Amino acid sequence: MRSLGLCFWIVVPSLLATPVLAHTGGVSGGFVGGFAHPLFGPDHVLAMVAVGLWGAFLDAPGIFILPIVFPLVMAFGGALGILNVPLLGTEAAIAISAVVLGLMVALAARLPIWMASVVVGAFAIFHGYAHGAELPAGADAVLYCVGFVIATGLLHLSGIALGLTVRWPVGNIGVRGAGAAITCAGIVFLWRLA
Amino acid sequence: MSQAALLVIGLFALLPMDAAIAHAPFEGVGSFYGGLLHPLFVPTHVLAVVGTGLLMGRQAPRWRWFPPASYVAGLAVGFAAMISAYAPQSAGAVLLAAAAASGALVALARPLPEILGCVLALMTGLALALDSPPGGISVREANVILIGTFCGAAVLLLGVVELTIMLRREWQRIGVRILGSWIAASAIMGLTLRLTR
Repeated sequence: MRSLGLCFWIVVPSLLATPVLAHTGGVSGGFVGGFAHPLFGPDHVLAMVAVGLWGAFLDAPGIFILPIVFPLVMAFGGALGILNVPLLGTEAAIAISAVVLGLMVALAARLPIWMASVVVGAFAIFHGYAHGAELPAGADAVLYCVGFVIATGLLHLSGIALGLTVRWPVGNIGVRGAGAAITCAGIVFLWRLA
Repeated sequence: MSQAALLVIGLFALLPMDAAIAHAPFEGVGSFYGGLLHPLFVPTHVLAVVGTGLLMGRQAPRWRWFPPASYVAGLAVGFAAMISAYAPQSAGAVLLAAAAASGALVALARPLPEILGCVLALMTGLALALDSPPGGISVREANVILIGTFCGAAVLLLGVVELTIMLRREWQRIGVRILGSWIAASAIMGLTLRLTR
């Protein structure tokens, strides 16, 4: 019953993302604009989902620790982007994040929580920076950021929801396969940048 | 209603804020109720109050009634200053800073001294009051709006605190921490944007 409640809490937010997206056309500021922003970059989406998936292979609290660490560090990166602080290789780092995080999932890597947090946090700076630097000039600051953070968090929760299936053999294979696919997609993103 | 359903409803109360503001929710509801609903429809206020409430709820029962009392005292002092026609421009930035601090402390999930809660709560209450200038056309109407906002802000905080105290299971506590990290992240970026534009 407890796990059923947990699944409910994770899956329902993921489902709710769809109707909100349906109203995004052409909106650059406000909650909807912020919510839509992370969803339009496939490299971002895959890396965020990979963060959630990876948590499934970490020890008990790890599945939720990474989604706590990521937004906090991402906000720091976002602030750097808003302030136009130079940060080299942002796009490449984001593509590499998809490669590395996908690889962690594919290999079912069980790093210590602190080490996984450092890896995820390092990439979070670049993801946050890219979002912060691309903020539209007319955006409603707070609502835009709330939408942006919630969308990112829901992507993590979607990954966690999928990651919960690792307890079954078929689910384990599926999740690790998804990790491999994310790695391949990351390599393609890198190749396009070259 | 189960605690999980309450948590989901609370989380998704954040989603319609944009549309609610666009549709001027206070039309026709009267001065008092307009003021009462005001803290619910201003994103900066929601972030700060929910962040502070989550922090108080997570630190209970070690934190007693001093932080909520400090918050209410801050509201009272702020509204008294507002009646004296004092309305600083930086109150919104202070609210975001308070939301960032509260959210980060919720995400950190460590025992904290009660005095820290009192300072944060006082700052939040004071800044919220000073960031809520009434739109009334008469002094009486403005005062009614302020009383409504005072009640709404106080009830919102106490509601969040009570709801958070109810969330005792491990996964619910982790959910609160995630929500805290979201509040902190939103507030940090919002504050940076506000300060640079």
